[in-house]
Amino acid sequence: VNEQEFAELAAGFVLDALSPHDAETFLAAREQHPEWEHHVTTDAATAALLAESVAEVEPPAGARASLLAVIAQTPQTPQTPPAPPTAAPELALETAPARRRFGARGWFALAASLALLVGVGWGAVFVSEQLSTPASVVALEQVQAAPDVQSARGTLPDGGLVTAYWSDTVGKTVLVSDGLPKIAGDQSFEMWFVRDGAPISAGTFTAEDGTATTLLAGEVELGDVIALTVEPAGGSPSGEPSSEPIVVIATA
Amino acid sequence: VNRSQSEEVLQEVFLEIWQSAGRFAPNRGQGRSWVLTIAHRRAVDRVRSSQASADRDVRAGFRDIGVEYDGVAEEVELRFEAERVSRALATLPEPQREALTLAYYGGYSQSEIAALVRAPLGTIKTRMRDGLTRLRGELGVTT
Repeated sequence: VNEQEFAELAAGFVLDALSPHDAETFLAAREQHPEWEHHVTTDAATAALLAESVAEVEPPAGARASLLAVIAQTPQTPQTPPAPPTAAPELALETAPARRRFGARGWFALAASLALLVGVGWGAVFVSEQLSTPASVVALEQVQAAPDVQSARGTLPDGGLVTAYWSDTVGKTVLVSDGLPKIAGDQSFEMWFVRDGAPISAGTFTAEDGTATTLLAGEVELGDVIALTVEPAGGSPSGEPSSEPIVVIATA
Repeated sequence: VNRSQSEEVLQEVFLEIWQSAGRFAPNRGQGRSWVLTIAHRRAVDRVRSSQASADRDVRAGFRDIGVEYDGVAEEVELRFEAERVSRALATLPEPQREALTLAYYGGYSQSEIAALVRAPLGTIKTRMRDGLTRLRGELGVTT
């Protein structure tokens, strides 16, 4: 790897866009050539600025508290020498230093970048799906080909049909929906496993023409009920359904 | 946008910051940049590894990309920094902007982008490199 190739790899690296093979090549070269590190540093600083053009989103109310609870039980990785004097063990434990470092603005911007990246990231899947078969359709084929495939269906209020297919050996559950109601642009359908009376979110989707094939996140367990609700875009903010399900499918 | 996934990534990011704060060297760029770098990597990892993708859901996401780089400045009141970045992006030749946008905001890998825009992989790598260099100049990034 010469310096020009390294600079090219560095650009891909800071954008998280390298293939696993290129990433390996890059990391090996990076270790061998500390004198080229400035390429990585300036590129990383430039790439990070791209996050600034993302609209801010308010982080969920409980995010800080739940993070502090986890941090209280998580040890920090020991400092590597030479230890920077400004290392921040108080980063999030004490309010004041944490504020100085990231501030409310930092929190908002960060939550926003995450929301957008994850959201837009689904777009990444979409375009690559035009080149190949959608993951959910592949999953449906796998499940339907399994010897232990099971299915159950439910009817939507307007007569549409939602069918769940699952297989324990494949470990996937796929929902095939037809005749879904039209929802507003700021709404999504959210899938749920209702287990022992408690709903567990299994992902969200939208369906422009009322049909969708969607893969649920997680595995179905004996006795689960699968439910579909209409929620604010991206899913219910509270993590629990905010409305009555439009369809309920018993899997037992 | 998938809210629950985003919230999980948010937590992962800050946890990683907490765990590795001791290794954060001030000369590696400022704290905010460091945090955003971790955030981007975690978000991209999550998107690539997640199987919960509903193919319809992503269509809405893809529209967001278009909105993003066409510049929504009229609709949304962007902060100063945001506007500066948008303007700098707008000065880039389209192929370079496309490569950067698909990688950073779309989470695509270089080979995916090559397939997507039907260009050789080497071309995409070069566009990304040139685009980033040019953006750095426009934004006056110094380290």
